[in-house]
Amino acid sequence: MLFLLIAGVIGYGIGLGLDTLIMKSVRYSAPVPSAFALLFAFTAFFFGIYGYRGITRGLVYQIIGTLVGGLVVTGIRGLMGLSLFGGFFFTEPAWVFGGIAGAVSFLFGVGVMSDWVKWARGMDTPEHHEDEPGWEKYFDVSLDHKVIGIQYTVTALFLISVGGLFALIFRTELAASGLQFLNVGMSLFGQNGPQLYNTLMSLHGMIMIVSILLGISGIINYAVPLLLGAQDMAFPRMNAFAYWVSVPASVLLLMSLVLGGFDTGWTGYPPLSAKAPVGMQMFFLGVFVAGWSSILGALNVIATVLRMRAKGMTAWRLPIFVWAAVATSIIALTATQLIGLSFQLVMFQRLLGMGFFDPAKGGNPVLFQHLFWFYSHPAVYVFVLPGLGVISELLPVFARKPLFGYRWVAMSSLGIALVGFLVWAHHMFTSGMNEYLRVPFMYSTLLVAVPTGVKFFSWVATLWKGKIETPTPMLFVLGAVLVFLFGGLTGPPNATVSVDLHLHDTYFIVGHFHDTIFGGFVFPFFAAIYYWYPKATGRRMNEFWGKVHFWLMTPSFLILTFGMMRIGLLGMRRRIADYDPALGFDFTHLILTICAFGIATSVLIFFINFFHSIKHGEKAEGNLWNSRSPEWQVPSPMPAHNYDVPFEVVGEPYDYGLPGSKYVEFVGEKSKH
Amino acid sequence: MTHTQDKKSMLSQGVFIFGYLAVLTVLEFFVAVTFEAIALLIVVALVKAALVVYYYMHIYKLNAEHEGDHNSYEYKSGTNRIGLWLFLISDSFVFGGLLVMRMNLLGLTRPNLNPTLGLAVTSILLISSFFMNRGETMMSNGDRKGFLNNTLITFLLGLGFLIGVVAVEWRLAAHEGLTPSSGAAGAAFYMMTGMHAFHVLTGLIFLAIVWFNGRRGLYDEKHYPVEAAAVYWHFVDVVWIFFYPALYLIGTVIL
Repeated sequence: MLFLLIAGVIGYGIGLGLDTLIMKSVRYSAPVPSAFALLFAFTAFFFGIYGYRGITRGLVYQIIGTLVGGLVVTGIRGLMGLSLFGGFFFTEPAWVFGGIAGAVSFLFGVGVMSDWVKWARGMDTPEHHEDEPGWEKYFDVSLDHKVIGIQYTVTALFLISVGGLFALIFRTELAASGLQFLNVGMSLFGQNGPQLYNTLMSLHGMIMIVSILLGISGIINYAVPLLLGAQDMAFPRMNAFAYWVSVPASVLLLMSLVLGGFDTGWTGYPPLSAKAPVGMQMFFLGVFVAGWSSILGALNVIATVLRMRAKGMTAWRLPIFVWAAVATSIIALTATQLIGLSFQLVMFQRLLGMGFFDPAKGGNPVLFQHLFWFYSHPAVYVFVLPGLGVISELLPVFARKPLFGYRWVAMSSLGIALVGFLVWAHHMFTSGMNEYLRVPFMYSTLLVAVPTGVKFFSWVATLWKGKIETPTPMLFVLGAVLVFLFGGLTGPPNATVSVDLHLHDTYFIVGHFHDTIFGGFVFPFFAAIYYWYPKATGRRMNEFWGKVHFWLMTPSFLILTFGMMRIGLLGMRRRIADYDPALGFDFTHLILTICAFGIATSVLIFFINFFHSIKHGEKAEGNLWNSRSPEWQVPSPMPAHNYDVPFEVVGEPYDYGLPGSKYVEFVGEKSKH
Repeated sequence: MTHTQDKKSMLSQGVFIFGYLAVLTVLEFFVAVTFEAIALLIVVALVKAALVVYYYMHIYKLNAEHEGDHNSYEYKSGTNRIGLWLFLISDSFVFGGLLVMRMNLLGLTRPNLNPTLGLAVTSILLISSFFMNRGETMMSNGDRKGFLNNTLITFLLGLGFLIGVVAVEWRLAAHEGLTPSSGAAGAAFYMMTGMHAFHVLTGLIFLAIVWFNGRRGLYDEKHYPVEAAAVYWHFVDVVWIFFYPALYLIGTVIL
């Protein structure tokens, strides 16, 4: 912590000095000192707790790489006789090239490339690297999928708290009409209050999206090889690469806040995004780099499921969560390239004046929206499918009953994934696209409700007459079902063209997607953490505080989204910093802000519980939840190379309560018979 | 004896496939120059791509049964093969997106480019694919010298393609007034060729790595890296099979 503060001040000083040198005037809250302070503080924080290796070395390399990359472009500009420095110290091309160079330098610095470099030079490397015991392996490159899964999860939790903090800031501003503290008079990071509101609002969206992608990767990485009985993922080095590439991506995203910000919302539509400050480029770059994490992670999951299954694990005996992971990976593998492409096109339009989306040059702004939503709509299925898989995976455990309609549930995940590719233009009913596209996209969107409905019927039928136990994970599963139900029911009205023309860009949409994302990701994510925490640590999280977390978060969240939908129906626009007091929304907004703080408090309780239980939680080394799944048949925490004795699948996965049924049999047991 | 005959027939198969590809490319060019038949051009491109994907990239190997336990080299190569193909599927969405962009912005017009120069660089890339196939087959036959020579030829041809596009074609186009900022046609042309050239560059790096390691004596038993570099190289070729008609042949020229 001390390192954090000292280095922050030093970085601020250096940045201030450089800025003063270039701009010839001292600007205390300007972007450049803040950028340096941010980078130095981060690096020093990890240096303080970990020393100069692993992530610290990566961050140092990233800073050096960014500066060298920027200076190279600046030098080239100097030779070409162009302006050397811009309002943000470097010019825009220099920042972009510096950002790329920094991200690549990070990967070399952290050491995730070293094995590949050796291979390219014709050297062989050992199959496994042994990790050092204790907590230190989490800050360095590890090839163990369990370590990587936890790294993902903790990074996701960190980003969730950052994104949540941003939400609290602008939610507080919205509590009453008029601009209270984010007003025109203030100035931070080269932005005045309303601009900062826009930046925070936009970054809240994208940071949360990245954190969701990392969160699902965390659960999938941790659980899928264990559920399959594999020793590791199919490509352990690429797995580590996919995780570590998300760290410089997060740094780039945070840099966009301090480098002038941007005001487009998370969607980054041109022509506005073609004119926004340099922060826009950092945002595009960050998303692009984070996209590679998602693509390579998805590739790894599909290859693992195809090739690394235990003996006897046929398609219809796969755990349902694995089916969900495959469905989500199919989308992430293919569609993610399109958001990367659309953002690249805008980057090139800004850098080289290429007229993709500039009507004056024969470009077409609506084309961006098509390319963008071709990923960004299926992306919401990337977010929710693993969560729905967690629900289907945990419900039978706590209802002590077989999962109702296993094959239908497995196929519904794939169905959602495939139909999800055909619905993207429902975001564009008001965008000026060809009108004849509206109705087909309306029907394809309504079609998504069918496989989703299959899942709901399965959940309700699984609960029916079950012996339901309600420890914390089950509470979150039930909460997820409830919240996702509201999210699902408010979807078809938006999909209908006539209603959407009224609801487009209102708080109704905001309420709808927060319901789907909380029901499809946040609640199942917490459920999965409470459920698999004992597997990872050998201790369980505190049950009482877990229940407090649930009972504080759920009502706050439901009031929040219902309030959002109410004012949305009455005409509250989304994304704006201020609203007319005559609309009469002041009281509702105040309630919404209080609820937002309620959620934040509950998540804070979760964090304390999470970190406290690592050392002080109640010991839980056996089959805590009385599950049939293979990973619970061995002691916790999981041994380093997973199963010492391989197992064979001999029965159906979810036959809870059927006497004599068996899912897995360890090879040793068999010889006893 | 049948085994060696198999190896020889693999080489002669490469020659035949190259013959088909050459004939189709010439046919494509004359169809485009003499009369407007876009449907025919699309069919020809699809046939060419299918030939390369099946005979040069051996997509059928994905389906092969792998005996042995999960830790054998053969089983792991099968996993790597699946990983590579998944990556190619993912990457093809980038190029698909670029084609969509081109069709949306330009429709049935095309940038003002010299079709003969396009035919020249296309031929260079197709010929390089032929030598890549020979090199890969020879390595799996244990003929290291043939592998090294053919890979070197592939590398030089690939370098020739890269120079032909970036140094010659871009300069000529800019001279004619087609620059990145000149309009939608210029933007589409430079973005598509640029993205493809970037993939050619990475392919060249892989070829160089495989060549140096081959010269050092690797890949006697474990020759999956050679196959991977070859498959990636052919993939870059397949992309150009679609980009070439999209940029040089379809539609009328806009100035």
